[in-house]
Amino acid sequence: MATIGHNNLNAKLVLLGDMGAGKSSLVLRFVKGQFLEFQESTIGAAFFSQTLAVNDATVKFEIWDTAGQERYHSLAPMYYRGAAAAIIVYDITSTDSFSRAKKWVQELQKQGNPNMVMAFAGNKCDLEDKRKVTAEDLSTGKMIGNAKESRGLYYLDNGLDFKDQQKTYSGATISNENHSDQILDLNNNEGPPEMPQHNDSYKETQSGFTTIDPT
Amino acid sequence: MSKIEPTSTRFVIEPLSQFDLSTHSRTTTVRSIAITSLSNPTILYVGTNSGTLFSLSADTNDSNTSQNGTVPSDSASFLHKLSFIRSVSVSDSPVDAVLVLADLGKVLLLSDGSLFLVDSELSNRAFRLGFSKGVAVVTRRKMRNNESEGLGFDMNNQNHRFLQKLGGLIVKDGETQSGACVLALAIGRKLVIVELVLGSGKSGKSDKDFNNGSLVVLKEIQCVDGVVSTMVWIDDSIFVGTVNGYSLISCVSGQSSVIFSLPDVSRPPRLKLLHREWRVLLLVDNVGVIVDVQGQPVGGSLVFRHGLQSVGELSFYVVVVSDGKIELYNKKNGVCAQVLPFGGEGIGPCVVASEEDKSGKIVAVATATKVVCYQKLPSVEQIKDLLRKKNYKGAICLVEELESEGEMSKDLLSFIHAQVGFLLLFDLHFEEAVDHFLLSDTMQPSEIFPFIMRDPNRWSLLVPRNRYWGLHPPPAPLEDVVDDGLMTIQRASFLRKAGVETIVDNDLFLNPPNRADLLESAIKNISRYLEASREKKLTQSVSEGVDTLLMYLYRALNRTEDMERLASSTNCCVVEELEHMLEESGHLRTLAFLYASKGMSSKAVSIWRILARNYSSSLWKDPALDNIIQDSGENLISGKAIAAEASKILEESSDQDLILQHLGWIADISQVLAVEVLTSDKREIQLSPDEVVTSIDPQKVEILQRYLQWLIEHQDCFDTQLHTLYALSLAKSAIEAFEFENISENLASGNTERKNLATLRNSIFQTPVRERLQIFLQSSDLYDPEEVLDLIEGSELWLEKAILYRRLGQETLVLQILALKLEDSEAAEQYCAEIGRADAYMQLLEMYLDPQDGKDPMFTAAVRLLHNHGESLDPLQVLEKLSPDMPLQLASETLLRMFRARVHHHRQGQIVHSLSRAVDIDARLSRLDERSRHVQINDESLCDSCNARLGTKLFAMYPDDTVVCYKCYRRQGESVSVSGRNFKEDILIKPGWLVSR
Repeated sequence: MATIGHNNLNAKLVLLGDMGAGKSSLVLRFVKGQFLEFQESTIGAAFFSQTLAVNDATVKFEIWDTAGQERYHSLAPMYYRGAAAAIIVYDITSTDSFSRAKKWVQELQKQGNPNMVMAFAGNKCDLEDKRKVTAEDLSTGKMIGNAKESRGLYYLDNGLDFKDQQKTYSGATISNENHSDQILDLNNNEGPPEMPQHNDSYKETQSGFTTIDPT
Repeated sequence: MSKIEPTSTRFVIEPLSQFDLSTHSRTTTVRSIAITSLSNPTILYVGTNSGTLFSLSADTNDSNTSQNGTVPSDSASFLHKLSFIRSVSVSDSPVDAVLVLADLGKVLLLSDGSLFLVDSELSNRAFRLGFSKGVAVVTRRKMRNNESEGLGFDMNNQNHRFLQKLGGLIVKDGETQSGACVLALAIGRKLVIVELVLGSGKSGKSDKDFNNGSLVVLKEIQCVDGVVSTMVWIDDSIFVGTVNGYSLISCVSGQSSVIFSLPDVSRPPRLKLLHREWRVLLLVDNVGVIVDVQGQPVGGSLVFRHGLQSVGELSFYVVVVSDGKIELYNKKNGVCAQVLPFGGEGIGPCVVASEEDKSGKIVAVATATKVVCYQKLPSVEQIKDLLRKKNYKGAICLVEELESEGEMSKDLLSFIHAQVGFLLLFDLHFEEAVDHFLLSDTMQPSEIFPFIMRDPNRWSLLVPRNRYWGLHPPPAPLEDVVDDGLMTIQRASFLRKAGVETIVDNDLFLNPPNRADLLESAIKNISRYLEASREKKLTQSVSEGVDTLLMYLYRALNRTEDMERLASSTNCCVVEELEHMLEESGHLRTLAFLYASKGMSSKAVSIWRILARNYSSSLWKDPALDNIIQDSGENLISGKAIAAEASKILEESSDQDLILQHLGWIADISQVLAVEVLTSDKREIQLSPDEVVTSIDPQKVEILQRYLQWLIEHQDCFDTQLHTLYALSLAKSAIEAFEFENISENLASGNTERKNLATLRNSIFQTPVRERLQIFLQSSDLYDPEEVLDLIEGSELWLEKAILYRRLGQETLVLQILALKLEDSEAAEQYCAEIGRADAYMQLLEMYLDPQDGKDPMFTAAVRLLHNHGESLDPLQVLEKLSPDMPLQLASETLLRMFRARVHHHRQGQIVHSLSRAVDIDARLSRLDERSRHVQINDESLCDSCNARLGTKLFAMYPDDTVVCYKCYRRQGESVSVSGRNFKEDILIKPGWLVSR
């Protein structure tokens, strides 16, 4: 959970998603600004921390980068338990990873912390020509359930900037140009209007990552 | 994440001793092992498959393998033998677990689902604790002292009492304190919490001799998850592992929560308490997840590459054994630090045991028939080993880890940085070396001195004899270091060709650097170190060494700018050490700056003089005429700069001889500078004016004049001689200038511009000399006018003469000069006014009318005089003076004017007189008005002074309208009223009295 002290905020963030979706790459880009051509498969979970300045507070992210392999699925609850935010990553070139991601959302909605901020991130949008997951797949978004349940779910996709009928979602782009660069580009700064507990603010950082800041 | 990096391979542990079970028993094999260090020597308890327990002594005292500083080879044949102490038979089944209850002097054994108790010396038979069979796992509660008291949650009475009863083995700061022995037993799906109560010995024998005791059941907890196969109990948290997964059970509430479940098909669960961090390691296959007491994950997962059969803990490493290999993984970053084989592959099941202590130093590994004891190398040895292998990065990495774990003192860290620096230095990595030197707080700058200056030298005794770990050769001058280093590389290349592997930096080996580059880099970096050292607080002698040697290094690279900067700033350079060197290498400017900064003015100035001479001579020699102008510009500038430096020194010096000695050449370059030297306010003792005056080159009149002017105007010098001298000097110059002007005027009127330019350029004064002379003659009273007059008598300096004559009181002469020579009638009249007597005007008039020397009378001037001052002249006298030759026309006009002036003067007087009278009359009138004022008084009227009723008494009124009785009036007097106003001093004027005309 996010805890506050002296304008310092600790936030537990967990990354979930199918194996090979790019969770570790995403974290590595955020934390160290690096990109590795061949990222080893994560085993168990990796831990990182990154501190960001958001307005006049500092947020220390404790990031748990979980293993995507099915074998370690059972470990995931330990990591998302008490997390303030979760990023569910899928690979836009893989429908399997997308359906896996949907399952993650459902699992989190069922078992996770009800105040958790979730972000849905479509990765590898430099491979646009191999795209399998389209905007329609997202907007039909059956897995989200009704509007009430989808509170706090953000879409971070390839900049298609779509909007739900009732809510404004934040569209964001993760581009992974030639596998050498990842940018999470924010297209819409609006937070969802009904956010009683999460007055979300976004800030672009030097690493090009977007922070989600539940206060 | 858990990549095995070759750079981080360390020697954390070394084999210490071993034991071969086959020499004792051919039939049995090792099943379990435990280690305790509470007793000394460390004792190993080994449980066998045949149901016996035996103890081994790992005598660590005579282990000298680490002392001699070499890392032992892996072959176990040289190892000490673990000495067999005693064995005891427990049961017919294998001894599954050995639990040392060191604080009670007992060992608890699990065999065949039953618990047995043995005394730690194994002197008696094992006692079977009467309890239901089927115990699968047993664990003892471990508590940290401070947490055992404040059990903050769910404090209802029942639980509180229960917990107080529970107690446990309290671990505090690495020491275990005796407490009640509370155990958790796993029996199938049930968890039973029991207390071990030792039976008291019969007939007064101590507890230790008897192995009897009983278990008292405190609580039973149902564990629904499955059959418990592993368990750890810290504080209030019991961690249990079943085939399905791991759960956390609170011993207070008995509530169970799932930490995580295991994959469907996986290895059996395994738990390990990490004493050091007070955390628990949960294993999933070959992955280790570390969680805290609350079951929350901490840090990333550890991945044990080669699987594992058993897991232990040592310092900040997790020790795992598998396949006859022992591996150490860093708990924090998961990096595999060391892999050591202790038996061939396929050796069968192995177990590892580590001390249950934060500061454990020994781990024991057992295969079926062999027990090997490993000892942790002291951190220092680990670092030394890495350094010996030239793995500096690895060493620093280890040092940083140790520091973050709080296992390394600041001093040791500094020591190691210095040691690494020296090693790098001898490996010709000068930049990195200095980087490390700078990280060391304890390293002395003097340790670097022998690298710069050959021994013996002035600072030899200052150099601390610190040889660190003796891993590098003794210090030698940098040239030698570079030569030796290059030689080593060369030798290595030969050896490599011959197939011998050597430890030489690959980069240097592949691209052999050239000597000059290396030396330059060495000097550059060492000077960087010395520069940084200058900022530190050093003793005087070390500072001297640092600065002097820094100068040496600068010179070696010919960094003139840095040399001069160092020399001219505040520094501790030892001049004697540098003098010769700088002179030889021709860094005279630096030397001069150095002398100056050390207060050796005379030497400094002499060098500047030499430099100045060199500049001017080079200018002189230059044969190319075209270049002269350009070059002279440059040389003059640099010459001026030199003179400026010298004069800067002299300005502050009080050494008169020195100043006068060098004044000449400075004046040759710049008169302004010479003047600045003489007129400086910065020196403590002022120069003697007489000597200065005599020593100034008579050719350089302007310097003299400037100096005298400064003395007189700024120093308020009252010496008449100097005043006279100044006047004479100015007069002489004025005469010369006057003559020069006349000559050039005569030569060509067209060349005036050029002349002006010439005079302007050569002079250091802004105002012309005559003006200065006149101002001085007029302002000073102290010079001798006659002397000056003597000098200028024959010249055309008339105005000056007039001033002098005036000084002498020779009015006639002054008037003559002013009126006749200079024809400055205004000045003449002015002078007459100064004299203030009518006869002066008369005299002047006479001069105008009869100039003598055959000059025509100056009627215009005379008329002007009469017009201006006619009224004060006696007309009779004027008439007398008027010469008969004067044209009537002019005379009449003059006379008319004079008369008119007189009449005018008279009438003016009359007007003034009448006006005064008018005022007088007005005043009188006002007075009368005032006096005739009526005053009305009544019965109420009081005297303003005595407040008596006036009635019909006589009274008086003052001009400020105060009324007093006569008595008071007499007392007060006429001029002071009741209000205290004195009308004589403080005149009262009423508006009506003013004369309005």
